[in-house]
Amino acid sequence: MAATTESVKADAAEAPLLNKRNLILGFLLYLVFYSFIRWYEGVYGWSAGLDSFAPEFETYWMNMLYIELVLEVVTASALWGWLWKTRDRKVMSITPREELRRHFTHWIWLVMYGWAIYWGASYFTEQDGTWHQTIVRDTDFTPSHIIEFYLSYPIYIITGVASFLYAKTRLPTYQQGLHLMYMVAVIGPFMILPNVGLNEWGHTFWFMEELFVAPLHYGFVFFGWAALAIMGVVNTEVIALTKLLKKDLA
Amino acid sequence: MSASQSAVRSRAEAVQVSRTLDWMILFTLFTAVLGGYHIHYMLTGGDWDFWSDWKDRRLWVTVAPIVSITFPAAVQACLWWRYRLPIGATVAVLGLLLGEWINRYLNFWGWTYFPVNFVFPSQLLPGAIVLDVVLMLGGSMTLTAVVGGMAYGLLFYPGNWPVIAPLHVPVEYNGMMMTLADLQGYHYVRTGTPEYIRMVEKGTLRTFGKDVAPVSAFFSAFVSIIIYFLWHFFGRWFAKTDFISDDAS
Repeated sequence: MAATTESVKADAAEAPLLNKRNLILGFLLYLVFYSFIRWYEGVYGWSAGLDSFAPEFETYWMNMLYIELVLEVVTASALWGWLWKTRDRKVMSITPREELRRHFTHWIWLVMYGWAIYWGASYFTEQDGTWHQTIVRDTDFTPSHIIEFYLSYPIYIITGVASFLYAKTRLPTYQQGLHLMYMVAVIGPFMILPNVGLNEWGHTFWFMEELFVAPLHYGFVFFGWAALAIMGVVNTEVIALTKLLKKDLA
Repeated sequence: MSASQSAVRSRAEAVQVSRTLDWMILFTLFTAVLGGYHIHYMLTGGDWDFWSDWKDRRLWVTVAPIVSITFPAAVQACLWWRYRLPIGATVAVLGLLLGEWINRYLNFWGWTYFPVNFVFPSQLLPGAIVLDVVLMLGGSMTLTAVVGGMAYGLLFYPGNWPVIAPLHVPVEYNGMMMTLADLQGYHYVRTGTPEYIRMVEKGTLRTFGKDVAPVSAFFSAFVSIIIYFLWHFFGRWFAKTDFISDDAS
């Protein structure tokens, strides 16, 4: 009886398997932040974003670019550095329950990665299409690019690498080596950012018009396929979780 | 706790954990596939999908199914062969359509002020449902590629007919004969998309008149079969669970 009481107390004090607060706050963080960004675009895209030689363009758009680049480097360094610095050096000796808890935390990271990919690859990329097909561009740093390429892409890259680092440093499942599809799922979409170099170089030849299906854009397409590698990560997770859940009940 | 012990303490908790993870997995899979599929589709067939005056009887009908059967085939390859879930194509297409509709409302209309009946996305669901049903009933990749892939291409134009037909009625404007969709493009000026880059009704096939759309759909169906095969294997590759050595030496 006494032992049972102790067990119940231990359960009550134990952290929950899924930290719902982190899941909801993380989801809302991206949603609220990007809603603000969309509001900013709506207000300052038309009023200050049409002529890159205008002083107000420098004020509202180039300063936005400089600020976001600094914040991204700081955030990436701090987050990735913290994940690596606080890694579990005895990851193979954790209890099954702790492992399950970490899988849930890992899935919070993956949910955020999917959410960030949606905003970057879907929302802001197609938005860029309507901006360019409507407005003649006179700079590589158009309002839509400052948000799409230099904000939403770095954010999903930061999230994806953080997710990968979490798995690699805290989960026994990923200690066998480097998970090929996890790397494809993170590095492939990451490569979309360097591919911006090709895109901008190409557009210096064809500044005046926008054909979205132009071969110049196929680099984005190729690296976008890598998002499918999330299926390999899901399959690995399902195998690991099935093993954790199907063992003898304690 | 021994290594053979479960991470959960009761069957009820196991069920709850499993269901919670199902939702988290579904959300991640849905949004990641949505993102990858959307960037692929908008940059390989997007211009025909963005604007009603690009939605012609020839290139739209040809291009859209060919470039859009890709991700459905790949997702089917994972969900059916791993989990026996015959919903891969429908899930992929629903993701794409959700991303597109959000964008057309909030950005094409909300930011650059085009009316939604000028920028609505193509309808891909009928083909996707047939693709899933053929896979479910046949259980065969070859059958799905040949029968489902062909149906996917052939169904595209009929699937879009109810929404595009009113915009394809002829109108005379300033002495010129054009469609209502052409007239929309004429009025809603896209400075970055001048008329000379609009690829519609190219070539002499248009002189066939009524035959253009079915011939284009049939060609599209043929290529869709081949693309299905290719992307099925892409899907299988992307679903792998392999590790590679992280030993740098």
